[in-house]
Amino acid sequence: MKSIALRRYPFTSCRPPASPQVLDFLAPSTLRQPSCRGFKTTSVTPFWGKSQDSSQQTTTPAPKPKYVLSQKQREFLDSALRVNQAGELAATLIYTAQTPQVVRSHPHLRPLMKHMYDQEAGHLSTFNQMVAKHRVRPTAMYPVWEVAATFLGWSTAAMGREAAMACTEAVETEIGSHYNDQVREILSWQAEAESRGEELDDELKNMLTTFRRIRDEELEHLDHAVENDAKEARPYDPLVNVIRFGCKAAIKISEKV
Amino acid sequence: MAHPHLTRLQAPLASCKRQLPPTFRLTRPISTSRRLYQPQHQHQHQHHQTGNQRTTSPRRTQTSSIRKYHSEHHPELPPHEYTNSQTAILSAALRHVPAHGFTRDALTLGARDTGFLDVSVQLFPRGEFDLILFWLASRRGLLRASVEDGLFETDTRGQRLSVAEKTKLLIMERLRMNTDIRHQWQDALALMSLAGNIPLSLSELHALSSEILDLAGDTSVDASWYTKRLSVAAIYASSEVVMTRDRTPDLRETETFVDRRVEDSKAIGDKLSGVKQCLGFMGSTAVGLGRSWGLKI
Repeated sequence: MKSIALRRYPFTSCRPPASPQVLDFLAPSTLRQPSCRGFKTTSVTPFWGKSQDSSQQTTTPAPKPKYVLSQKQREFLDSALRVNQAGELAATLIYTAQTPQVVRSHPHLRPLMKHMYDQEAGHLSTFNQMVAKHRVRPTAMYPVWEVAATFLGWSTAAMGREAAMACTEAVETEIGSHYNDQVREILSWQAEAESRGEELDDELKNMLTTFRRIRDEELEHLDHAVENDAKEARPYDPLVNVIRFGCKAAIKISEKV
Repeated sequence: MAHPHLTRLQAPLASCKRQLPPTFRLTRPISTSRRLYQPQHQHQHQHHQTGNQRTTSPRRTQTSSIRKYHSEHHPELPPHEYTNSQTAILSAALRHVPAHGFTRDALTLGARDTGFLDVSVQLFPRGEFDLILFWLASRRGLLRASVEDGLFETDTRGQRLSVAEKTKLLIMERLRMNTDIRHQWQDALALMSLAGNIPLSLSELHALSSEILDLAGDTSVDASWYTKRLSVAAIYASSEVVMTRDRTPDLRETETFVDRRVEDSKAIGDKLSGVKQCLGFMGSTAVGLGRSWGLKI
């Protein structure tokens, strides 16, 4: 047993064996215990981003040719950024509408609600900057989503703390899987670029790390919601299914218009 | 003249030339040149078909690809999607527009100037309207070039221009590009307002207003993105009509018209945002009142 461990981790003496640093970015959620997740904010530049950059700089000092985006990939990024901006707008409005009612009956939730709201506001400003920088058309349904999100947040909070948390759970599940799809798509471009001996430009690399960070933070909200009795919501299945269906429809609409 | 399209195109044209009597070539007056548009020879007929096949792609998407993910790491998309030979003919034809207007005559003269046969006008399935679209798209490209040449640096006088000032400057710059052809522009406007041409005209107008706001550095990311583009498009379209009747040098009358329209749109915007703010206050007051009475809202 010890010999196997030694063979697999030749530097066990200088490094604790329980931290496989290289694989961490592949599945960050499986490695962290949900109960250990406090109100922490993941750092803006995670260590894997830095280590990747430094390793590339040391191995290939000559700059590789940049990967040129095709028309279809530009369209994908166009609609992806539009959907993300609309999603974060809706998320901030949902939390804004939920907070007063939830906090009044459960004052101990005030720091949690504030923490989640602050993170969503940060995501929204990130995507606002991206949309302006890349000249992406914002969604034409902007006023509609504003009203719909405020109503969703207000009505679920009126149904009680559990329903509000079930709403968070449903929304973050959809949003998290949506971000995952985008990360997978950009990773496939990266693989294609590497197979051609090219590399993605810095903006795309930054976008990839930003998407990963935001996805992890959204999934953290999901864990918080489940910890706070989201599953206890009274008509749990219909409520969650309706909200998830609405989210899916809103994503599909925002991709197009 | 070293583009590949040109040589590919000239090969069948040369075979056509051999079939025609010498007087048939370039010496006829323009008024009778329409006869050539009808397929008379087998060779010509085939050529028409290939020409039409080649132009199917710009027929679909003339300006739709402009509004896509933009990045400094990736090349700017060209303002139009005409092929090299089409661009050569159209650019030459634009030189005849002040004298001949946006007509098939100008197109034919442009084709002759670049060494094509009169029949190559068949490269443009939309005829005169293609000439108008090319004019609009190429001027839009020139607008970007003039900004890169320092349009905003001439008037700065030490201080930075605001987005609204830049927008006005760009609208006037674009209108001044029309100076040479303003006596022909009413005919072009009439052609653009035909039912079949309206969609492309509107998408070109949208592309122009979008380009103006992008160049002015506008960074709105909410519903005002749409209202700003609408108002710039409305200001530009109405000023264009005024310009066609403007006889003053340097378009002074049009400039005062643009100034008044910009102020109008600013006033309307202020009113609307005031109304919205007032409604928001009333709503939050009502909710606060309800909460202070102990309602669960």
